[in-house]
Amino acid sequence: MKKQGPKLEVLKWIGAAVKYVLFALMILIWAFPVIWVILTSFKGRTEIFTLPPRIFFSPTLEHYIEAFLRTGDIAHGILNSILVATITTILTLLVAVPAGYAFSRVIFRFRNQLSFFALMTQMAPPIGLIIPYFFILSRTRMLDSYSGLIAIHMTLTVPFSIWLMITYFQDLPASLEESAAIDGASPFTAFLRVVLPTAWGGVGVTAIFAFIESWNEFLYAVVLTGSRTKTVPVAIFSFLTTEESLWGPFTATGVTIMAPVIFVALFAQRQMIKGMTLGATKG
Amino acid sequence: MSVAFKTKKVEYQKQWERFGFAMISPSMIFLLLVTTVPLVSLFVMSCFRIDLTYPLGNGWIGFKNYLEMMKDARFWHSIRLTAIYTFITVTLQVVVGLGLAMAFFRGFRGQGLMRVSVLLPMILAPVVVGLAWRTLILTPEYGILDYVSILLGFGSKPWLVDPTWAMISVVIIHTWQWTPFAFLVFLASLNAIPQEPLEAALLDTRTSWQRFRYVILPMLRPAIIIVIIFRTMIALRAFAAIFSATGGGPGTATEILNLYAYRVSFNSLELGYGAALGTVLLFITVAISLIFFRMRRSSTG
Repeated sequence: MKKQGPKLEVLKWIGAAVKYVLFALMILIWAFPVIWVILTSFKGRTEIFTLPPRIFFSPTLEHYIEAFLRTGDIAHGILNSILVATITTILTLLVAVPAGYAFSRVIFRFRNQLSFFALMTQMAPPIGLIIPYFFILSRTRMLDSYSGLIAIHMTLTVPFSIWLMITYFQDLPASLEESAAIDGASPFTAFLRVVLPTAWGGVGVTAIFAFIESWNEFLYAVVLTGSRTKTVPVAIFSFLTTEESLWGPFTATGVTIMAPVIFVALFAQRQMIKGMTLGATKG
Repeated sequence: MSVAFKTKKVEYQKQWERFGFAMISPSMIFLLLVTTVPLVSLFVMSCFRIDLTYPLGNGWIGFKNYLEMMKDARFWHSIRLTAIYTFITVTLQVVVGLGLAMAFFRGFRGQGLMRVSVLLPMILAPVVVGLAWRTLILTPEYGILDYVSILLGFGSKPWLVDPTWAMISVVIIHTWQWTPFAFLVFLASLNAIPQEPLEAALLDTRTSWQRFRYVILPMLRPAIIIVIIFRTMIALRAFAAIFSATGGGPGTATEILNLYAYRVSFNSLELGYGAALGTVLLFITVAISLIFFRMRRSSTG
């Protein structure tokens, strides 16, 4: 039996203290690099290389101005990234949401085999896809085209979007379509009018993940894009070459790439974490 | 039940099944075209010599690329690095993630702040992450980690220039990026364990280690297996962060199979040999995932 005494009180207190130190350390380790990039992007040219590093300084926008004005590359890259990520997201939702619904609610032949196929495509190593993709696109003169990049970005987004949507649709009550069927609605009308409106939350989270995946994507973009369709994760390399290392414009561009993602994470952290761990905890 | 009703029901079921097929076919046809077809082409390409810089002599060569690979020291080096990289990063993620989840699973204040900070590494562009580590964090003296290392008396380290240190650095970056996933999954699983059996079991055990070893760990087994599967797959496809932090270098010090296949294909433009390397990676991925699926099936019954 446990004894309640002053000794236990002290132990409890130490336990709580250790926990809070661990908590602070965790935030330091995971958030600090990101905060450091943001701080550096606002530091003056000389302050970046001041030792000891400064947390407080007078902020400047010079690196942002330089990043965007030195060449048109970054602004152009951001526009390309927005275009590619937006179209990738829309097309992904158009094919993945109906598939997720059918896999979770409709019984048809080969359903298990087909859903397993969708899962397996997610495991395809990107380097194994990009080599034939590059070869085929270069033969058909489709390198540096938006459609080629969008199609291959969808190989990343469609499989996980189907899986996310399956888990969201599984949570909806079956009575939903039953009542619609009794009213004589076709399955498709029932899906569109009755089921979809209740699943917007899941669709939204799926859209966020698809957009982020395409927005951040690097390997396919660096191989397939040229001066016309270069996305911003590729363009950012121009600041850190063997000749020069421009930390200021690099961090300013880095912050620009991270900003929309951080912004979404601040508002939708709960839903995003749920979406990420759902597949793993439900299994 | 009347015949009319029965035929109507069959009719309805058929309509329902047709509807199901219609809903999945766009995505299935798409995935077939953009994943299956390229992967078959990958294998076909691996039986050709496709050197874009010296196109003379390009053509069918059967399994010669694979034979060459067996003698290629750089290939075996990349396989070794891939195994080391995958094993260490996955182990670290599981151990650290589990430790942190155990420390935090009973709820505490400031969860929102922690959620955001652990979510960020996973969703920020790996390129920016890799480049930021290379510059702001690991640069001698001016990088914050190197600065701290000097302050603590360990001195400046050759983070990205020494072969061994470069490997340690890319392992640290990957672990930093993905431990939050393991942490969050374990946290969710711990919170999902029903309280009553847990408390009853806790009364029977004496030390907290026994509690962990005989009560909590068995309950977490499925989650641990799933985390190992997911993380192994991600480690095998790691590219952008390593590419931007070290580029596979110095020399070939951090050139895992993925990066080797990339360099052969897109720096040397030997697409045939690159495709053979890609095919090997594909087989490794498929083999490992099949082993894991079997493990998982036997563990969940």
